[in-house]
Parts: sequence; C-alpha cells; structure tokens
Amino acid sequence: MTELDRTAEPRDCGADVAAYALGALEADESDAFARHLETCSICRDELASFQQVVDALPMSVPQHRAPPALRRRVLAQAGGGAERHGTAGRHDPASRRSLRRWLPSFAASRTGLALGAGLAAIAIAFGGVELGSSGAIRTKVFSAQVVGAAGSAEVRVTAGHAELVVHHFAAPPAGEIYEVWLGRPDQKPQPTNALFSVTASGDGDVDVPGNLHGVNQVMVTPEPAGGSPVPTHPAVITADLT
Amino acid sequence: MSLVHDGDASAFEVIFDRHGDAAFSLAYRMCGRRAMAEDVVQEAFLSLWRSGARYNQSRGSVRSWVLSVVHHRAIDAFRRDSIRTSRDVSDEGIAEQLPATERTEAEVERRDEAQQVRTALGELPADQRQVIELAYFGGFSHSQIAEMLKLPAGTVKGRMRLGLTKMRIALGNSAGAVL
Repeated sequence: MTELDRTAEPRDCGADVAAYALGALEADESDAFARHLETCSICRDELASFQQVVDALPMSVPQHRAPPALRRRVLAQAGGGAERHGTAGRHDPASRRSLRRWLPSFAASRTGLALGAGLAAIAIAFGGVELGSSGAIRTKVFSAQVVGAAGSAEVRVTAGHAELVVHHFAAPPAGEIYEVWLGRPDQKPQPTNALFSVTASGDGDVDVPGNLHGVNQVMVTPEPAGGSPVPTHPAVITADLT
Repeated sequence: MSLVHDGDASAFEVIFDRHGDAAFSLAYRMCGRRAMAEDVVQEAFLSLWRSGARYNQSRGSVRSWVLSVVHHRAIDAFRRDSIRTSRDVSDEGIAEQLPATERTEAEVERRDEAQQVRTALGELPADQRQVIELAYFGGFSHSQIAEMLKLPAGTVKGRMRLGLTKMRIALGNSAGAVL
C-alpha cells in the first residue's frame, strides 16, 4: 500500500467525487451530490481535476477506424451526406471494413449452383450513377431490387472494388446470415465469402470480394449461419450492374 | 462548432472525420459489439448535429465533448439492453485497427498522449483499475460493482478515488503532461 493509499480515506464529503466523475453514482445519489457541489468548493475543485482524468480515459482504448458506411449514414441523416459534398469517391478502398466474415477454405471448395431462373427474371436493370466530380476515383452506384422485404440496397463500385450497402433492411432469420453471390451471363451464380448481417437499425455494408470482370449481377440470399455452398433461398437483393 | 450549430453540414462532416474514429473506438470498447457500437456512434453524432449549441468551449475540447456524448449514449444503450451480455471486447478481426503510421504532428502528439493515459491506467493497482474500468467502460454503478466484487460500496468508491487521484498525478507529471 502506498502513502497515498493510507492517507486518502474517503470519509469526507469528497467520497463521492470520483464515483460522480465516473458516472457511477445511482441517480438519487448523483442528484444529491450535484446539489452538494453547489455549496462545496472543495468538491468542485476535486471534481474538476478528476473530470480531466475521466475525459482522458477514452484515449486509453485501442483505436479502430470508423466504418465508411457508418460515416455515410451519419452524414446522410444529418442532411448533408457525403454525396452532397462530392466525397463519395474519396473513400479509400483499403479502409473499407464491414460485417464480412472470411471463410476462405469454405469459399474455395464450393461450387456455385443456379439460383433459379426466377432470379434473373426479377432483376431489373438500373443505370449506374457516378459520384464524385473532382477526384480521379469515381464511385458508380447501382440501385438494387429488394424482394420480399422492406429496405433498400445499392452496390457501389469504386476502381473495380464493389461494396453492397443496405438500409432499413430486415435482419436475417434466426440462425441465418446473408450471403453475397456474383452473377455472370450464361453462368451459374458464384458464391462469395462475403457474409453479413445488419445493425439494429437495419443498416449494413459488406465488401464484395472477387474479380468483378464479367459480373452483371450481385445477389444476396439468406443462408444458414456460416454460409452455404449452394443457395437455399431465393434472392432477397438483386443488383444489376449493366 | 458554431458552424455546426448553424447547420453547416460540411462543418459537421469535418467534426466526424476528426473524431469519428475515436468515437467508434470508445463505443466499440464499451459495447464489445460492432453493430451496437455503430448505433451508439450514429445516435451520438446525430444528437450533436441537433444540439451543437450545447457545446461549451470552456468545459473542454470538442473531442472531449464528442466522446462524452458517445459515452453517455453507450450507457443509455446498456440500460435499454435488458440482456447485459458480456462487453469484453473480443475483436475477432471485425473492426479495422488503425495503422500505427503517424501522418501528422497532431496525430503523433495524440498518440503520445494516448500512451501516457494507457500507462497511467495500466500502472494502477489492479483493484483500482478494475473499478474504474467497470464504471467508465462498463457503465456499472458503484453499487453494481460492489455487488459483483462482493465489496462494501464505500470500498469501491474509495478505490475509484484513489485510482483517479493517482492517474491525475501521473498524467500531470508526465513529460508533455496530458492534464
């Protein structure tokens, strides 16, 4: 025990200061202590010094990059989305991280099977919209058709890198997860190792891995947790990239 | 911030770009779940957008203010979350760790300060560090912590006070003092 440990017995009115600064008092205690602060300059001073420490605590955590999709959602909801400021094309593909899970062995071993003729039938061609007016990198946005569920989806293609973004989309059924498939003309849809879910508000994004050469559709199906080598459900999202 | 208050969306965008990573990192540390952390950050920034006028420069930096809002939102989310699942962060590689490269002088300084805070927290006796982390990052009240650790409430509050006092001294004495 240090000298400080022996001398700082919390018997005075300041016993609650640290807990108050940390937000750890119960509601009634907090209210009472706030009233006490109005009349006790000693506690006010101690609180001010503790508050500086508490304010510094977030600096101690491992730093992560905020997901690009989160940024887009926040700015869009604030009424001045990235597109409005022409920044959509500035996203660094290397910084993209999302809800994906990598299952390389699983992806490498499976072979794609047809999603069914009905799938192609429900796909409606949407023209891509290029975003970003000043940068060399441009993002092309393809609206997707959502089938049998609420919400919206789009595929964003930047420098050959595709990202699927969904909004207000239902979470997959219990025990299932969404899986992304790539479609090429006259070929069976190919599975990818992109599996994702959505946030509580129904938002989510996932990188679409693989070579996009010749790909004309990006599709999503709900599949058992861990993904499936063959589609077991009809597509709920279909984006036509032509 | 006055521009944000005036509804300047580009100013708000700057605020997010400057503090979004730190906000997400704090939320992720507290929630331990990426989806929940994203919701917390989204709610926090949108509340900032709507209430820019509440920022008081005399009470700290914009960064501190943003992070305090994120902290409060996370606590609110915990209270809504009836199932108090473990919030120990198990990264699983789902969130992209920021690279160690340092791009600007400000980032170098911030990284140094972060190291000082980590050191100050890490050098606390384990029992003091534990109650501070449970309170701040876990959102638990001193009563809940006392119950968890089977300690008198007064002991928990005492450890909090000792821990914060030591951190204040450590950070005040460190080279390029954080405080």
